[in-house]
Amino acid sequence: MFSLIENEVTKMIAKKRLMFVLIILVILISVFAYGQNRTLARTKAQLTQRMGITATVDWRKLAEQQLIDMKGRLDSPYMDAKSQSSLTVRMQQLQYDLNNNINPLDQSAAKFTATFMEQSIFLFLPLLVVILAADMVSGESSSGTIKLLLVRNVPRWKILLSKYLALIILEVVVVFCAFLLSALISGFFFGFGGWMAPVATGFKVLAGKLDASGVFNVQEWQFSLMVYSLAFFVAVVVGSISFMISVLVKSTAASIGIILATLIAGNFISFFLSDWTLTHYLFMVNLRLTDYLSGAVQPVDGMNMLFSVTVLFVWALVATFVSFLYFTKKDILV
Amino acid sequence: MLKKTIWYSVFTIAIAGIVVLAGGFYQALKVTTENSPFRPAKVAMTQTSGSPAKSELKNTNTLQLLILGDSIAKGTGDEKGKGFSADLPQAIKTDTSKDILVTDAGINGLESQGLLGQLQNGRLNKPVAGANFILLSIGGNDLRTILSLNPQAQEDEFKIKEDSYLSNLKQALRILRSSNPNAYIVFLGLYNPYEKTTTAEEVSLWQEWNYNTELLIESDHKAIYIPSDDLMKFNLGKYLAPDGLHPNSAGYLALSDRIRKSLESVIAGT
Repeated sequence: MFSLIENEVTKMIAKKRLMFVLIILVILISVFAYGQNRTLARTKAQLTQRMGITATVDWRKLAEQQLIDMKGRLDSPYMDAKSQSSLTVRMQQLQYDLNNNINPLDQSAAKFTATFMEQSIFLFLPLLVVILAADMVSGESSSGTIKLLLVRNVPRWKILLSKYLALIILEVVVVFCAFLLSALISGFFFGFGGWMAPVATGFKVLAGKLDASGVFNVQEWQFSLMVYSLAFFVAVVVGSISFMISVLVKSTAASIGIILATLIAGNFISFFLSDWTLTHYLFMVNLRLTDYLSGAVQPVDGMNMLFSVTVLFVWALVATFVSFLYFTKKDILV
Repeated sequence: MLKKTIWYSVFTIAIAGIVVLAGGFYQALKVTTENSPFRPAKVAMTQTSGSPAKSELKNTNTLQLLILGDSIAKGTGDEKGKGFSADLPQAIKTDTSKDILVTDAGINGLESQGLLGQLQNGRLNKPVAGANFILLSIGGNDLRTILSLNPQAQEDEFKIKEDSYLSNLKQALRILRSSNPNAYIVFLGLYNPYEKTTTAEEVSLWQEWNYNTELLIESDHKAIYIPSDDLMKFNLGKYLAPDGLHPNSAGYLALSDRIRKSLESVIAGT
């Protein structure tokens, strides 16, 4: 088995697929980092124009003032209990910025790394995975090498399994490289720090509304770890589904097209989530797992982290099952 | 040999990665589902001077001041943290020997709808009933949403917002009066903190808002509308907090003094 997997991974590397994916990553991360840098510069310029040069240079005064105001709100007998946590969390963040002399406006490598994956998890990352996965089997069919695979004295399911495991290995590599490249490239623009900064999490979706009553801070590196782990999960799920399409469809181009179409359709279908409960069970609309983490989710009744993860898991399971069933049973005509 | 090394390094990264990422995944699930393991330390809810219970003392030797409204009522922007709840009693003291009890129910970001809700849910019934003076600052947050729109949309949105704001304010005043027919109500008018970037059209909308508020307030004989925009217009640098929106310490002092001056005879006479 081990040598089978090795074979498959080496094939992917030789086909330069992995290299291709990494290059796309480098380009996109650079563009994104550069873009953020420009936005940051422009925001600072606007503030300067509105409130005088001291506003951007003297952010400390503003932060200290905000802390005083928040403390006042916390002490008020009319403060409602639910906002207590969000206020405390916000105060901790401001206090951290003041203690470490960090302008809250500024971007950091750590912040960027997390944000980049949060933005990429539902479309860009699946795209990269599809590039790797989509022709794992259909490619063999179209190029005729399927003959060479099947004449060996290895059961069919083992061959497919080796491909599947190779795909998982590559997915780990992609996620890992995404992390590394984000941190490195953004570091050149924003400095390599920020890993200990507090980030708010602990949001819940209760009865269709965002509940921030239990929020607390974790450090940026912990947050990034969670974000990238969710990204890996999404990668495995999308990979499994692409894998299945690749097994079912003989043409690589059709395979890629089908997956892309469903992913993009997901964007449109998200509009109907609140009205059409059936759509909740599609895998494409459940890809934004990091939104649950960061509280950026558009709350829909019944959709929370556990729900989305379960839906995705079932899809991956069924897709894998179908792949194996089809591949081992179907007559391969070459 | 190169292929072998590449393969081994890829494999090692993969195994290590899967372990790490599995851990992270479990963490992510935990964080978003179970009740947070971290309970923010219950901040001691200290009572501000002038807690509702104290208003039971219908002492003729105390004046009771109730402050209602948005962040300006709350004192946001004041370096000392208190705003009107400290500065206004301080100013009033010069005209009377009585003690002054303050209840500050201001809430940051409050809009006229929220103020109405606050009065309707009953938690403020005691402070309202016992107040001699009620300071009201509301409407800023209602109006600010209009400013981010483009000029064409502004006019229509403004009419809608203004109508609902005035209706809310009217109802709020009615509730205040039905509970306390004798208190003096002081309404603090809106000033324009964006002096440098406001267009002429926006300025006229602003003025209309204040004017209609003034009409409504002045229809009550024991209420007074006190403008703040004339005081702030040229003095933004001196009176505005670093956030560019709220008054700072000096600003609150100046406004408190103005309110005191308008109420001079009334305070001395109580």
